[in-house]
This record gives sequence, C-alpha cells and structure tokens, in this order.
Amino acid sequence: MYNNILILLGGPQGSGLESSAQILSKTFARLGYGLFADREYFSNIKGRHSYIHMRISSKGLPVSLSYPVQILCAMDAETFFTHFQDVEEKGVIVYDVSTLSTKYSAIPSIEPGLRERLRVSFSEFGLDGSISSLIRYLKAVKKTRFIGLDYQKILSELSQKFTLSPAHASRYLSSIIVGAIVGLTGLKLDAVAYALASRFAGRPQLIEHNMFIIESVSKTVMKEFGTLCELEPSANSLEKMLVSSGNDVIAMAKIVGGLRFQSYYPITPAADESFTLETFERLEVDGESLGSLIVIQTEDEIAAICSAIGASLSGVRSSTSTSGPGFSLMVEALGYAGQIESPVVITYYQRGAPSTGQPTRGGQSDLLFTLYASHGEFPRIVLSSGDHLEAFYDTILALNLSERYNVPVIHLLDKFLANSIVTTPLPEISKVKIDRGKTVFEKPDFKRFDLSRPISLRTFLGSNIIQWAAGDEHDEYGHIDEDPLNRRKMYEKRMKKLEIIDSEVPVEERAIFYGQDDARLVMIGWGSVKGVALDAVKEMELSGIKCGYLHLKMFSPFPSEYVKSILSKFKPENLVAVEHNYLAQASQLVRQQTGILIGNSIVKYTGRPIYLSELVNALNRILNGERRVVLEYGA
Amino acid sequence: MVRSPNDYRTDVWVDWCPGCGNYGILAALYKAFAELQLDPTNTVIVSGIGCSGKTPHFVKVNGIHTLHGRAIAFASGIKLANPNLTVMVHGGDGDLMGIGLGHFIALGRKNLDIKVMLHDNRVYGLTKGQASPTLSKGLRTKSLAQPNILNSLNPVALALVSGYTFVARGYSMLSEHLKNLIIAAIKHKGSAFIDILQPCVTYNDIHTPEYYRKKVYFLEEDGWNPMVREGEESDKLLNAIKRSFEEERIPIGIFYQNNFKQTLEESYSQRISSYFKTIPPWQKISKDDGSPIFDEILFEKMFEEYIVRVERSQ
Ligand SMILES: Cc1ncc(C[n+]2csc(CCOP(=O)(O)OP(=O)(O)O)c2C)c(N)n1
Ligand code: SF4
Ligand SMILES: [Mg+2]
Repeated sequence: MYNNILILLGGPQGSGLESSAQILSKTFARLGYGLFADREYFSNIKGRHSYIHMRISSKGLPVSLSYPVQILCAMDAETFFTHFQDVEEKGVIVYDVSTLSTKYSAIPSIEPGLRERLRVSFSEFGLDGSISSLIRYLKAVKKTRFIGLDYQKILSELSQKFTLSPAHASRYLSSIIVGAIVGLTGLKLDAVAYALASRFAGRPQLIEHNMFIIESVSKTVMKEFGTLCELEPSANSLEKMLVSSGNDVIAMAKIVGGLRFQSYYPITPAADESFTLETFERLEVDGESLGSLIVIQTEDEIAAICSAIGASLSGVRSSTSTSGPGFSLMVEALGYAGQIESPVVITYYQRGAPSTGQPTRGGQSDLLFTLYASHGEFPRIVLSSGDHLEAFYDTILALNLSERYNVPVIHLLDKFLANSIVTTPLPEISKVKIDRGKTVFEKPDFKRFDLSRPISLRTFLGSNIIQWAAGDEHDEYGHIDEDPLNRRKMYEKRMKKLEIIDSEVPVEERAIFYGQDDARLVMIGWGSVKGVALDAVKEMELSGIKCGYLHLKMFSPFPSEYVKSILSKFKPENLVAVEHNYLAQASQLVRQQTGILIGNSIVKYTGRPIYLSELVNALNRILNGERRVVLEYGA
Repeated sequence: MVRSPNDYRTDVWVDWCPGCGNYGILAALYKAFAELQLDPTNTVIVSGIGCSGKTPHFVKVNGIHTLHGRAIAFASGIKLANPNLTVMVHGGDGDLMGIGLGHFIALGRKNLDIKVMLHDNRVYGLTKGQASPTLSKGLRTKSLAQPNILNSLNPVALALVSGYTFVARGYSMLSEHLKNLIIAAIKHKGSAFIDILQPCVTYNDIHTPEYYRKKVYFLEEDGWNPMVREGEESDKLLNAIKRSFEEERIPIGIFYQNNFKQTLEESYSQRISSYFKTIPPWQKISKDDGSPIFDEILFEKMFEEYIVRVERSQ
C-alpha cells in the first residue's frame, strides 16, 4: 500500500484531460487525500500533447512533484512515447491496445527534438519504434506492468447502453483514464459520484455517462489486474478542503478582499482568474447581493491598467491580471499610478519569456523587470507568493498595502501556481483584515498631495471633494508645477513611502526562513520554488544533510536587514539560489541589497516545474563542488 | 447656489498661446457647465497629453490629467466604478486619433456614457507642430520639413462607424454653438463625440480662423435632422457618414444621435441588479472592526464548488 503516489496522465489537448483532473482531484479530496497536480500543455487548442502530473498523499498535503511516477495513463500513443521513461521500475502503464502497432515516427505532432531522442533510444534498445516493441522491452528491462484496455470497445459499450452516436461517446475518452486510476488505487465509487456531482451539477446525463465508464473500467482493472497501487486510507485530519487552481484561489481572495473592478485582456496564464471573477460578478449568497463586481475585457492591456487606475480613483478596489507581454504594455501607466499616488493591483502571472516565449509554460524571469519597469523613480510594492494559500492572503495584503500607501502593487506569480490544482485547508477568513488607508470625503481646500505628510489622504471621485491629478510633476493640489524646490519636495515625499513601507510591513510578510543556523546548504528562492525547496530540505535531512530555505516574498521594498541577518551566518559557498531563470535574478537582488554573495545556483528555464528528484540531485552536486546546475527534466 | 461660468474657473494661469482656439473651447465649456449647473464634485474631466491635455487644470471640477492617448481608458474605469459621475474626456488629434485610437474605437463599441471632446488642430501642438492624423496629405503646415506624406482620417466618420451614439462637429471660434453641442452631448446617454475644429495659431498656418470662417456652415440650417428614429438606424448612419466627408464647405452641428442603444452601464446593471442600487464605491467591503464582510460561512457558501467535504472510509 502506498501513502504517496505519483501519477502522470496524458493525451491530446482538448480531449477532456482537464476535466479528468478535476474529477480525480475532487475524488481524492473527498477521501481525505492531499493532492498536487500540475498541468502541462502547449499553446494549442486541439491535438498537441498535454499532461497532468500529480502527487497524491495520504499523509499531509503534497507541495511538490517528482519523478519517476508510479502510474502512467496514456490516452494516446504520443503520451506513451513521450513519458515511458518517466515511469519507475515495476511501474504501471495504462494504454490503448489499438495503438500497439503505432510507431512514434508516424505521429506528426511529436516535435523534432523528441523525435530525434526517440530515434536514438529506439536504435539503442534495438526496437522497431512501435508501442508493442516498447512494451516488450519495458517488461523485460524495467519490469513495467501494463494495463492494456480497448478504449474503442469501452466507448462503444457506452454508446450502445445510452444510444449515443460514436462521436458523442468519444467525448468520454478521458473518463477511461479516470476509471483506470480509480481501479488501480482502489478508490471508492461513492467518492467518484461525489466528485462528478460537484463537477457536473445540474447535468445528470454527463454524470451518468461518466460514471458508467469509470465504474466499468475500474472494475475491469481491479478484476483483471488487481489494485496494483492501493492507497492507504488517508491520515489527514482536515474535514474540508479547498480544491482549486492558483487562478481560482486568487479570484476568491479578490472577492473576499472587496474587489469591485477587474479589467483584463485575455492572456495565458492569467485569463482564467478573470473568468472566475466574472462568474461571481453578482456577489450573491443565498439570493442576497453583497455588492457588484465589474469585470471588463478591455481592448488591450494598456486600457486594462488605465481603467483599473481610473476605477481606483473612483474609490473602488481594483486590479488587473496579466502576464509578461501584457505587463510590458502596462509599464507607462504603472509609473503614472506611482506619480499620482493611486492604488492599483497588478496580478502578474509569469510565463516563459521573452517575447511570446512559451505562452503556456512557467518561468520566473520577470522579477527584475517588475522592479524597474517604467521610466523614473517611484515607490512600488512587488510581492510574490509561494503557494496557493500564501497567494490567497497575499492577494488581500496587496489590496491593503496598495490603498494604505497609495502605491501600485505588483503581485508576482507564475504559471506553475496559476494552473496547478492543489488541496489546501480552507483559508482562515477570520485572520483577514481590510485596510483601506486614510480617506476623506469632505474637506474644503483639499490638497490631494499635501506635503505635510508622505502618505496623502485619498478621496473618491464623486465624494464632496474636488481633486486633480497629473502625471506631470505637480503641486499639492495636483496642478502642474515645475518649480525646482517643489519638485524636490514632491519627489522625496513619494520616495519616502518606500522607507515607511519598509518599516511598517511585518517582516513575516516579506521573507521567511525555514531552517537552522547550522544548515550545510541554504537555498534562496521565491514563488513556486517554495514547495519543492521545502520538500528537498526534508529529503536531504533523510540522508543526514541539513539544509534550509529562505523564501523571499517582497522584493520592493526589499527586506534587506532581515535577509542580511539570516544569510550573513553562512558562507557564500553554502548558499544556493534556486530559481526559474538564467541569471538567478533574486540572488542578484540579494547581492545588490545586502552585499551578500550567493555562491551557487540551481536554475531551470525549460518552462517545466522544478522536480524534487532533480533538485535533490542538484543539491548533492553542489555539495560535491559544482557551482551552477541547470535543470532540464520533464517533457 | 447658482453657479456662473466664472465659478468653474480655477486660479491656474492658462498657458496656451494668445489667440489659440483652445480658449474658445474652454469658454464654451464654462458656459455649458453653468447652464447645466453641473455639480463639480460629480463631474470629472479626464485628459490626455498635449496643449489640449491641460484643460482639466483650468476647470473647477475633478480633473485627471493622464497619459498620451489613454484618457478614454482611464475615464472608462472611472465611469464604470461610479456610473453616477458625469465624465468628459479632452484630447488632441494626436492623442485621440493617433496613439490612443484603439481606445477611441473601443469606447464607441461600449457605448459607455462618456463625452469625448477632440481638440482638432491638425497638428501636434505641444511637440511643436508635427503633422497629426487629421492633416490632409500634401499639406505643409508651418513647422513641417516636408509636406505631409500620410493620408488623413475623418474623426466624425470614424466615430460613426465605431458606434458612438452622439456624434457632432463644432468650431472653437463659434463658442455659443459649441456650448450648445456640449450641452447636448452631456445630456445624451451613451458615448458622445464632438470633433472640435480648433485653430492652432502657432503651428497651423493653413487651418486658420480665416480658413474656417469661409468654410463652416450649420447642419441644422441645412435641414439635417440627426435624430435616429426607431428602425432607421443604418439609413441615418450612412447619410451622416456621407455628410461628414463634405470638404468644400465644412458642416458643423450634430450629425447623429441614437437614443435606442443600451449603454454599457445599463447592460451591466441588467446582469448585476445591485450595481446601480448602491454604486460600487459606497458598497461595504468590510465591517466596522476592519474584518471583511465575508466570514467563514459566507465564504463556504459562495465558493461551495471549490470545497470538498471529506468523508473518511472506516
Ligand atoms: C507616449 C508618449 N509619446 C510621446 C509624447 C510626446 N507628446 C507630447 S504631446 C504630443 C502630441 C500632442 O498632439 P495632440 O495630441 O494633437 O495635442 P495638442 O498639443 O495638439 O493639443 C506628443 C507626441 C508623450 N507625452 N507620450
Ligand atoms: S501650440 Fe497651438 S494648440 Fe498649442 S497652445 Fe499654442 S496655439 Fe494652441
Ligand atoms: Mg493636436
């Protein structure tokens, strides 16, 4: 019995894989298992290879992924060819028997690089390039266990039973995979029924058809092959779990945080957040409205940020969500928000860059960009989050800080977080506070940029006050003013806010050190690196090597004193930057802000997550004297 | 208190060139605001960058001087967040017809209740007289090194095809007429546009007051009725577009007014019934103690679809 299992399920994009992942995650969660699922896909709507890589745990909530996997479920031959090497010795591969004679060379969607790697492997193994030859080889060499199912036959049973057209029945292809996993891990069908009911509420036929396939496949698998990867009953004590993507958890946080305006221009991997917000636009609970949430798809990202700043001037909490290309268009307005001291939150999901880069893949290469984007100097907050729950609280923190200090806040996230489905405890709403900063609605002779205090009183357009604002340097009223002495005062007033934020925002919100002073290696990372780094600390400990992890969260203003106090206890050769970019950007910032040199780096920029297995391996290589390790595992 | 045009003046010194057409626009604006007795706290002028962009500093209503070309985008957020505000945009022809053209067209599609005033001087005033998108090909205004090599566009026609439901042309030197257009635009419900012919005495030596004096004529005196009657939308639109291309004599007045189209705010309120009831800025998002209006129970109810209740097998 397993207390922790890794599964990879793959198939062509657009064939229902995503919905399978949702059903599986709710099924596992229903039974109390923790789950962490990453979704990998091409920038493509139909046909290219996509997959879901998940870890299920009966002890605790998983925070990272690793290879090899115990189970590979292939909806098609491409998945088989792409991932057979990801499966552990004696692992299980589920496949479609009708693909036995398919050769990799006949699959047009396989990219040239992989095709060439396959060619080399196949000639090395002395195989003819077909699935059947590969199966023989894997059985002999890796003792792989195979579950061959006739997918077409299963679908025609469905179409007969419910008199569906073959085309209609084929839409349930991905349920075969779900059924196989249910059978292999010994999940209860009640839990599946619960997940289906929740996923397809109000659509009884979908529930019935899916259930039919899942039930029949899981029974076949159990009967003919056995529950090969049975999971221990969960030892987790949570009674309720939140099962959501990063996009969704941030949307929820924005709603709890009182967001009233969201603008966006469609872009991966940010747009799903706005979609979710729009589904909740009525803010209704039990038929009673808590307010209204305007979500608008603008003509471009420039309009998105400008309208969000406009909404903020009208006195609502507002934000826009985007990714790199969109943020590139927003930078002029970012400086404007800084200059007119307007709150606005930019939720920034990094993806593979530069340019269009890898639209659907992950990365962390925009940190330095967010710190310096837009001409001129002005105060900004750059805050990043390492996991779903952190992102929940940080989203509200971003809204609060933005209004408290009248500054733009960039909430820096990434595709890994955006698209991964994770089980977490429910956020503790009672811990949440709303801080709208100092506002005033009635004041004769109002000075929006009153020089007597660094943080001006904010008012709403439409209150009993008249206000002006200008991107030009301005006087206390907001009128253009180029007087050199006024310029100096206004400049300093704005920049002073950075010091105030630095002194007021608790350090726990800005950096967290997990570890002890006697660690052999301390990793320094941010964003999605958190989960895998923490798991690596545990894993290294098992082999007797103490490690630590410094999780950086706020990059502007940078918590220099705290970071220095932690890192100065270690020698540069004991420090390792772990980041999803080439330059190890956060480590450069650490150097700039604290003078401390981080002597080693482990970086990955293939667009795929950092896996526990490769991180542990890389840490060992660092211990053996390597200074820089570039990771590249994952299809 | 009754407000006079003067009550809408600020103390800021108006730094336009003497004789600039913008003075006429400003005067018309003061008069229109006074005639409508607009509440300065509920009125917002949003501007772009250029000589025209300075307008909000001279008017005692809320004034947001934004970025080059982006005034409409800012104004859209302002208006959607508080649909009770009277929101007006001022921009130049470079601003609204060049760098900010996408927003201009998008506003027509939205039919959001914003009034757009185009200070159309056919040059880039504040950057010293380069050709603007409304300068015809082949013309060489004072500070051009060579005659303009690009074709011009027609702002009125563009507004019409973009979906603006009120489209007019005015002339800055006919201040009374312009005032009436501004009043009509403000009273209109939906996206409104006025192309204001504005002499730039410093850089445009072709489109001078002399030039316009000879050319402009009043549409209304020519028997043109801009009002769309139900079912006649496209006929009216096509004829209005046709008239907007008259060049020998330049028509001014209202080209088109359509009162049958739903505004964006109305579309939202149809979907979200509470939107107009309590406008977003005054909706409560927290309790007096600073905690959010959400508690654990409300959270679980609203986000039920993301919550799984664990049922452990024995
Ligand atoms: C992004 C950007 N590019 C260029 C400029 C420089 N600039 C200032 S005003 C202006 C043109 C103004 O022309 P117009 O919009 O016609 O206004 P006018 O001065 O004629 O009223 C330009 C290009 C700027 N401020 N911002
Ligand atoms: S440059 Fe032209 S538009 Fe600008 S203020 Fe002078 S006359 Fe007016
Ligand atoms: Mg101009």
